[in-house]
Parts: sequence; structure tokens; C-alpha cells
Amino acid sequence: MDSEVRELRLRNPSDYKKWRTFLESLNIFNFEESEVSGIDLTLGIFSGEDLVATGSLANNTLKYIGVCNKNVVTGSRFNVIVSALVNREFQRGIFHMFVFTKKKYSASFQHVGFSELASTEDAAVLENGKPGIEDYLGEIAESSVSPSEKIAGIVMNANPFTNGHRALVEKAASENDFVYVFVVQTEASLFRFDERLRLVQEGTQDLTNVKVVSGGNYMVSYLTFPAYFLPSSEDTIRYQTTLDARIFRNKIAPRLGINKRYVGTEPFSRTTGVYNQVLAEELPPNVELSVVDRVQAEDKPVTATAVRQAIKADKLSAIKALVPTSTYDFINNNKNELIARIQKGMNINGN
Amino acid sequence: MEIKETAIAGTLESSDIQIMLAKGANGIEIDLESDVKKQFGQQIESVITTTLNQLGIESASVKAVDKGALDCVIKARTIAAAQRAGQTTDEPAWEVL
Repeated sequence: MDSEVRELRLRNPSDYKKWRTFLESLNIFNFEESEVSGIDLTLGIFSGEDLVATGSLANNTLKYIGVCNKNVVTGSRFNVIVSALVNREFQRGIFHMFVFTKKKYSASFQHVGFSELASTEDAAVLENGKPGIEDYLGEIAESSVSPSEKIAGIVMNANPFTNGHRALVEKAASENDFVYVFVVQTEASLFRFDERLRLVQEGTQDLTNVKVVSGGNYMVSYLTFPAYFLPSSEDTIRYQTTLDARIFRNKIAPRLGINKRYVGTEPFSRTTGVYNQVLAEELPPNVELSVVDRVQAEDKPVTATAVRQAIKADKLSAIKALVPTSTYDFINNNKNELIARIQKGMNINGN
Repeated sequence: MEIKETAIAGTLESSDIQIMLAKGANGIEIDLESDVKKQFGQQIESVITTTLNQLGIESASVKAVDKGALDCVIKARTIAAAQRAGQTTDEPAWEVL
């Protein structure tokens, strides 16, 4: 007879050991700090002394779900643990949640109310609750744009908005009837999301056919995708970026009528390099990909990383040539706050 | 009754139904997931709609995941979700029960 769903305390070594041993028996071996540290709740079901099912919550994401079906009807424990997790999210006021899982478990999650956003051969991402992706797209869609027009999309973190971003948006705006600029919502950057969004809006105000919107939960900063269930970390970036590209191709682009996506070349960052490569494989022919060379200032490519390093070194004069006035003024007015964030340990070196 | 926040009631265990209620604009819209949708889908949706209407809810976005619940369970879960959504859990709607 199974116990009630109980909370497991991973800080407690005996709970942690049981939990980890159980998951390892189900072929989950990645317990790296970056994956485990985000967990804020873990639940478990016991049969006697043995852990037989577990699942965890990390903000709005369900993680480390493992179930043993020995001696019970297949799926019954899975349903109990997932409903407990979903109910806990609701109690915390989180009504919209995600799960990243192996492709073969996608159907099980769909069976309990999740809907699939994208999948690859190995992995799938699903969402549950409201507002879902349809609500999000309905909200940002520009009603005056007809689907027959040339519509482009650009996704940027803009940490902060530079002349490089500006040039990319300008080029897209001149070559298309309408441009959506999606600003990544994930908070993992020196500049907060509301600041980044505001600077992009201010920096593109004069371009009348450009709409700056939040990337919502769907232009996921791929750095935050959980990857604990994949066998090797080598595939991680590729899997994360493929899912991201497919959500864009299958869900976002058709609904908004986007037929072209613009990205900047990436001379320095390996992750972004892989990302652009994956986009090139995944997006066409549905969405054309246009890779635009980075603009140069004083013979060096303009990057947001360079801007952040100049802030750290307190050399604002070096920034002037790299960013629009609106961004410069913001940095100038908030210099102390930004430097304080860097000193608190915010990573400014990009990926 | 007015829907003030998104709310949920019920579980995903066998013989139960999980009802999620959110604000809606175009009448009662139900997104139903059920293994017996083909046989009982209409009946389930009609129980949910009737119950919500009895509570004075004319517009709502409903997501229901059914695991073979009987009508009385569907009704009970719908009322619980609606009262949570309307923040009226401390004043049970006796006339609907």
C-alpha cells in the first residue's frame, strides 16, 4: 500500500540519498549543482520504506519526475505525483507550468492535461495551465498586419540594447512590411527584463513598422533549459536550441505570419554559434533565415559583452560609440546600481 | 459570480476530474481531455456548463482533465473550482448543491 504524497527534504542527507538512488535506478544521472539548486519543492510516494515515485518543482517547471510501476497499475503513481505537483503550483499562485522530458514520456504528460510545444527525437517540452501559448500569441499579434505581408521576427536578449541590435532591427524594418522584436523574458542578465524591454522600445521608437514585445515563456533563454535527463552534456546545447527553434517554427511563426527571421553573426560565443547553426537547419523552408554581419565600431564588432565590461571598468566613454543615446543615458543614470549588481556576482561575460 | 483568479479543483487520479477555471470572454469554453470523450464528452461538458450557469458564471475558460469521473464528482469539482475562482469558499452556494 502506497503512502500519501510526502515532502522530501533534499537538504537532509538521508532523504537526498534515497531520492538520488531511486532516480539513478531510473537512469537519471545528472545531479549537477546547476540543475538541482533551482529545486524548491520535492514530493515523494513511499511503499513501506521504499521511495516509489518522486517529482520536483523549480519555479514554474516540473523536474526530476521518476516513477516505479512495479506491482501497481501503470500510470497510477504517475498521475498521483503529477496532480500533487500541479496542485502545489496552484497553491503557490503559479497557474502556468512547463515540463521538459524525454520524448517517450510526452504522451504520458499529454494524458494528464499538458500540451506539447515542441519535440525532437530525444526530448520534448510541454506546458499546462493558463495563459498558454495561444493566449500569449493572441495578445501580442498586431491586428492591422495581414498574413500576406512580409513579416519578420528577431529574438534578442539585448543586455543592453546596442547599435548592433539597432542595425539588425533597421535592416529587417527596411526589408519587410512589419517586424516583431521579441525580448527574452528570462531574468539571468545584468539588465533586468523591464529595463531591457524599455531600452529596446526607446531605441526603436522611430521605426513605425516595428513592434517590441516580450518573448514570454516561449523564447526561452536556452541557458535555463533543464537538461538533467539527457545522457551527455555534449548534446545539451543542441537539444535546447532545437526545441527553441521548433517552438518558433511550429507555433509562433505561423500564428503571427512571420516568414523571415534575422540573426546577427556570432564571432565569439560558442553557444550562440551553435544556436545560429541549429536555426539554419530547423527554420527553412517555413521561415527564411537571414544572417546579418555584425556592425563594427573602431574596427571591432559591437557586442553587448563589451558594453558590460566597460561598465564594470567604469569607462563610460568607451560605450558612447557602441550604443544609442537612450541606452547610454540609462547606463549613465544607473551606473552605480549596475556596478553594484556586477559586484554582487552577476555574470557579465556572456556565454 | 465573477471569476477573480484562476483556480483548480480535483486530481488526476482514477474516477476523478481536474477542473481549471480562468477568466473567459466568449461564454463557457471547455477544453476537455478524457479517455471516454467519444462516449461521454457531451455529457461531461453539459454538466460543467450547467453547474457554472447555476452559479451565475456565464463566461469562463475551462480546462478539464477527466479520469472517468461520475456526474456527481464532475459537479462537485466544478463547484469547488468556481468558488475558489470567485474567492467565495467560505460562503458555500447551497442552492446549487
